[in-house]
Formats: sequence, C-alpha cells, structure tokens
Amino acid sequence: MNVYKFDEPGLAAWINKLLETVPVYCPAAKGEKCGTHPGWKKMTEVMLPGTGGPAGSSVKTFYFPQPEVLSTCSLKKNDDDGLLLKEPAPAAEKQVVFGVRPCDGRSVELNNLPYAEEKLFQQNRERTVLVGFSCSEPASTCFCQATGGSPYGTEGLDILISRQDDDFLVEILTDRGAEMAGEGLTPAPAAEITALEKLRAEATGSNENCDRLKNKDMAALYDAAFWNPLSESCLNCGVCTFLCPTCYCFDIQDEALHGKTRRIRYWDSCMFPLYTLHTTGHNPRGRKVQRVRNRFMHKLKNFPDRFGPLSCVGCGRCVVECPVNIDIREVVTDLLAVE
Amino acid sequence: MATINEKISEEIRAQARKLLEAKEVEAFLGYCQGSLPMTARPFVARTPEDTDKLVWNSFCVLNLANYLPALLKSLEPPRGPRDPAPEGPLPRAAILATGCWSRNIVIQIQENQVDRDRVVICGIASRGMVAQAKVKELFAGREILKVVEEDHKLLVSGKGFSEEINRWSVIRNNCLTCIHPDPVMFDVRIGEEGGQRKSDNRFADVEEIENKSAAQRRQWFEEEFASCIRCYACRNACPLCYCPTCFVDDAKPQWVGKSVDQVDTSIFHILRAYHCAGRCTDCGSCESVCPMGINMRILTKKLTSDVLNLYGSEAGLALDSPLPLTTFKQEDPQDFIITEQPADKGGE
Amino acid sequence: MEPKKNWEPKIIAFLCTWCSYAGADLAGVSRFQYPPNIRIVKVPCSGRISPNLILNALNNGADGVLVSGCHPGDCHYISGNYFARRRFALFDNLLEFIGIEPGRVNFSWISASEGEQFAEVVKEVTAKVKKLGPATRLVKKINEAA
Repeated sequence: MNVYKFDEPGLAAWINKLLETVPVYCPAAKGEKCGTHPGWKKMTEVMLPGTGGPAGSSVKTFYFPQPEVLSTCSLKKNDDDGLLLKEPAPAAEKQVVFGVRPCDGRSVELNNLPYAEEKLFQQNRERTVLVGFSCSEPASTCFCQATGGSPYGTEGLDILISRQDDDFLVEILTDRGAEMAGEGLTPAPAAEITALEKLRAEATGSNENCDRLKNKDMAALYDAAFWNPLSESCLNCGVCTFLCPTCYCFDIQDEALHGKTRRIRYWDSCMFPLYTLHTTGHNPRGRKVQRVRNRFMHKLKNFPDRFGPLSCVGCGRCVVECPVNIDIREVVTDLLAVE
Repeated sequence: MATINEKISEEIRAQARKLLEAKEVEAFLGYCQGSLPMTARPFVARTPEDTDKLVWNSFCVLNLANYLPALLKSLEPPRGPRDPAPEGPLPRAAILATGCWSRNIVIQIQENQVDRDRVVICGIASRGMVAQAKVKELFAGREILKVVEEDHKLLVSGKGFSEEINRWSVIRNNCLTCIHPDPVMFDVRIGEEGGQRKSDNRFADVEEIENKSAAQRRQWFEEEFASCIRCYACRNACPLCYCPTCFVDDAKPQWVGKSVDQVDTSIFHILRAYHCAGRCTDCGSCESVCPMGINMRILTKKLTSDVLNLYGSEAGLALDSPLPLTTFKQEDPQDFIITEQPADKGGE
Repeated sequence: MEPKKNWEPKIIAFLCTWCSYAGADLAGVSRFQYPPNIRIVKVPCSGRISPNLILNALNNGADGVLVSGCHPGDCHYISGNYFARRRFALFDNLLEFIGIEPGRVNFSWISASEGEQFAEVVKEVTAKVKKLGPATRLVKKINEAA
C-alpha cells in the first residue's frame, strides 16, 4: 500500500490530529500509573519510541482485555430480563496503539491462528489500529530474527513508521491503517521506499530454528534431561506468561453478586497449579517441572507442529523480567541439541 | 586484587565442594551466573563439579529460603501420603543465608517447614543487594550491556558509554534500612563478620504514608496497586508463602476474584501482606521481582513497624523467641477495642 | 454515589458463641432495643475470625463489620481472644493505613452477661456506619461493561 514521508514536526502534527479523534495508547514506563491496560497509558502528548526494544507490556491487553465480560444475567426473577443470559453489546469504538514494535505486531498475527474464529478476539482486532515503529537498533535481549520475525517486519501491524535519518517513512499496511492515516500526505520518494525494502529483506530472520524443532521427535524433547535443572529455580509465578505477547490462555468464571451475575474471561497462566487442576483433585501437571516443560514445549514444539510458526516472537520480555533469569534462548539451544 | 564478593564466591565454592564431597549434604543451594547483566540465577549444586558454577554478587536479590522447604522434600525418598516416614536421618541440604534469609529459615523452622538438623546454613554478612531497577533508571534510554562489580562501585557500560556509579547509591530500599545484615543463625561462616548496622529511621517511608490524610492514603493505595497484573510473583518469591493452596486459589469460599479488578487486586494485596504479619523479615524479594514496579513491600513494612511498636518484637531473630502472632501478653494494647475506649456518649 | 433516601446500613457482626452471642441473646431476652441493622454470624471464638472473613463481608456488600469476643481472661478456650487481639490490632492499623475509614470495621469485647452493653455497642456501631454512609471501598461491583 502507500508509503508517506514525514519530517519530525510533520509526524508530531499527524499524531496530534490522531489524538483528537481516537483514544491513543502508548507504552508506559515501569511503575508509571496506567488505566485499564497495565503497561500502556493514554497518550496525551507526542512521544516517539526509542531506537529499539519492546515496550514493557505486550499489546495482548488490547486483544484480550481483562476482565472480558462474556455474558450478564439478572438473578432477580421478577426483573423483565430476570434469569436471561445477555451478551454485552460488541465493543466497536476504534482505538490506536502507538509505538508497537514489529515483534508485538507479529504476535497478533500468531494469536490469530488459534483465535481465527473467536468472535471477541476478532472484534478487538477490527477496532484496534496498531501503529508500529521499526527497531533500528534492537535490544541485546531481542531475538526476533531467530523466531522468523524482523525488526522491520510488517506482520500484524496497520501502520509501520521507520526512522530514516531525521525523517520518517510511514507505511500504510491495511485498510484500518489507511482510515487512520487520513489524506493529503506526502508520498515517499521511490528510492527511499526501495532502500527500506532492502533493509527489510536483509533484516528478515529465518525459520531455521522452527523447522529444525519441527523435525525433532516430540517424545525425545519431552524426555530431555535439562528440564529438571531448568525448572528447579522457577518460582511458578506468571511473569513470563503475562508479559508474553503470544501467551493467550484464559480462564472463565461466573461471578454472582448483589442479584447480578456475569461470566468473565481473564488471563490464566500454565505456571499456576490451578491451570490444569481437575475437579476430582487430580492434577495431571502437578509438578513444577511439568509446568515449565509444558510452557516451552507449547511455544516451541506443539504450536509449530499444529500451526506452522513458533509461538514466540523474540521480544525478550520473559528473559528480562523473569525473577530467576530463566532464558528461553537457552531453552531453544538446549532443545536443538536434543537428538 | 580480588573483590570482597569474589573472595566470598571462592569460599562458597570451596565450602560447597567440601560438603558435597564429604556427603554431608546432597544439595547446595546457591547462585550461579545469570545470562544478563545484573542477574544471578538460583542454582542447586548436587555434585562437586557443579560447585564451580556457584557465584556471589550484589545481584542475588531473591531470597533462597524460598526454595528450602521444597528442596528438602525433594531430597526425601519418594513415598505416598500415608506411608510412614523413613527411618534414620534424612538427606541434608546446605543453603547460603544472609541476615534476612537466615531469619526466614528461623521462621521456617519455627513453623515446622524445615528441620533444623537437615540444613547446613552457610552464613554470609550481606553488604546490601543492588536494585536492578534503580540502575536501569539511572541509565534510562540506554541499554546496559555489562556491569562489572567492584567493592564500592559498579562499572556500567553499553553501546557508546561506560560509567562508574557508587554501589551504595543503587542499593535496594530494604537493604538501605536493614539493621540485621549479619546472619542470626549459621553453621559455617563465609566471609567476614558483618556486625550491626544502624538506621536512623527504618520506617521513614511508612511514616510518610501514615502522615497523609485518609483520602490521600486511599488515593496512594489505589494508584500504587493499579498496574498489578496478578502474576503472583510477589507471593511466589516470598519464603513465607508455602501454603499448599493459597487463599487466592480457594474456590469455596472464593476470597478474592480472579481477574484484574481494582477491588480484587486490593484484597489480594491486603491479605497477602497480612499473612506475612509478624513474619516478614523485609528481605525485599517481593519488590525485586515485580515486573510492574509496584512497591507492595510497604504494606508488610507497615505491619513490621506495628508489630515492633505494639509488641516490641521482630520475627526470626532467634529460634527460641516465638513469632509475634503466635504468642501474647495479657497487657497487650487494646485501645482499638470500642468497648475499652473511655465512654464518650453523644460525642463524635 | 449518593446514599438512597432512608438508606439503612447492613452490618455483619461476627460474634463468638460463648460470650458475645450469648450477650446478644440476653439483650433479646431482656428486651433491650437495638437497631435491626446487624446480621449476626456466630463463630466458635474470636480467634476464628480471620481478616479474610471481614474483607469478604465488605466485598459482598456489607457497609460495616462488628467483631466481638469474650473479654480478655474470659475466653472459653483460655487464650483465643488474646491471639485474636494481636491480629485485630494489626489488621485495624493496616486498614487505616490504606485509607479505609475508621469505624467501618469495629472490634469489641462483650460478655454473656452484658446484654445491655451489647445493645449499646450495636447502637454505637450503627450510628458510626450511618454517618460514614454506604461502603465504597473494597466493594466489588459487577458492571455490565468491563
């Protein structure tokens, strides 16, 4: 689609115009106070992201907001709609998420594989416009190329902004993006577009890890000796899963209070013992090592076997924030070494 | 010249090797090098060869006592829930312990989670641990690629910069106000004795909030905990939290809702802190591991301050002094009991 | 939220079965009048009352909570209320610390022979909670919109 060129004041003016029309979210600093989306704040003034590295929290909070109300019901028999399940009106108002890195954009595309027919996810996808920012200098913990992504990748994004010296190239990638972009913008010169394409082609990662893992025997990976020492330090907290852009597991619960009830969906984590607990009291993944193994096996083996790509975009959040420094990059190496 | 921490690391490795070779312990719980700057990874050495990996530095922020009950259990021969305990002494484990960690081990022993005879405590006087978040804040916008630690400074470098900062300036808040850096109980001492440290006002941050108005305190509380994502890292990093089923996982009754809801999050944090009342040693693990930068430690610190003011005791300082909430005095203050207040009929 | 007209607070009272509940019983038998705002939950001992219960009451829509046990020294289980006293003191302070209005959660000692005092305490607590208005903190709301 179209590529436009902005100088810095021009970009600021364009963003300011956006701020007037739709809610725009941008990454919040650690510890900064946020609203309904932890890690993201309502943008009030123009702030451009740095040269590389992902935001503290992933964009999945916009696709899987929590709590997400699935249905409501009044428990009072005498109410007109008493004891009738009602679905809330679909959320339709547009929202813009600004400063998304290509890894996060790609995560939406990956999550779309299992959620292709899920109504609420698709609704949120329809109303959310992701404005990406390419990483000219990825952080040392980034490894998007090793998972098949690219610091200039466009997957899942609606608009991608790339710095070019003092100017910005703005690529409009989808209809949603075009709608937000507006009209009367300056097209970028063809030479600069070619240069960007070249940069992208050079930076695009490979699927080699993914292909090699797919060719491995599931049972051999499952029985690998490194799981025990790896999991020993794990706290079984939910940091990795809740920060991960491609962890999409949820739990559902009915809440009943004051004569009303609602069915909500919220994030669950395979690190929690409750995740697999049966009503009988039996827990098929009752031990820590089983849970840790499941998390990595799902991302690196089961998901690729079923859907194709790795369920990891290489953002490195879990690597940075894990309280005990469990490093998924080392797990990939260990898995690849299994014969 | 070797730094203090390098010398301590050397001693740890020698000690661990000795204990494991002599088969005195089956596991040695310590730290190994992490994969990123300013990280250390909890690590269990099981063979003399493993011990080469052990290290000690200013980034060992997670309280190792957290792993102790489960580690000891894992060393026992497997048996069913109704099988009798095996005869003879059970395998032992060694653990590194600074002041607060050793106090947590004392508490675990008092609460029957750990058998004193099965632990070899290698005590280290803590020099204070560095808060990764504080260093990152100092270098906001620049990525830190390497941190070299010297005795009193950190050499922080990255792409295009290399700076020296004072180590004490980035010490964790709980270490800044710590007055018990030296282990209270140990079998083997590693490094030099730490001695007592003084702190002018340990509870200044608590008092700052206490001095606010009720409305301000309410606002502070709601804002502070607003970004919680309920990952439970604070709970899981806590050596006091060993319940097989946490109150947040109870379903009948369900004490606290599961989702990210302001009320549910508040109740989680109130009860989590309260369950640590009279037990918390202010080790700072909860604050260090929070991915959202929430200062939940202030709640447990408030409780610690109250326990000290009301009952004059601190948790885990000695095996023979009971935990504050497992004992009582007949003359404990009770001016909060409305029937004990002076009659003030008709008034406010 | 503006309190509705004729709003009456709901107050959950956790009473120990040996003293305070018997005190409430005596108040009834002796025909001492007290406001009908309290809902009594009988517990074996004030030592049984955990903060979970108190917060759960507020969470589920109670406007106030009254916790009452035997006077120190009178506990049927010798020392239950002494342990409870330490716990209540800390919990009371913690609630104040996070800005919960004083008077939402109340603690008292009432013996089996103090029917009149029971009525007085209920009057006092009801008046306090009425003055504070409906509880807004730690009260879960189920809104249709998330």
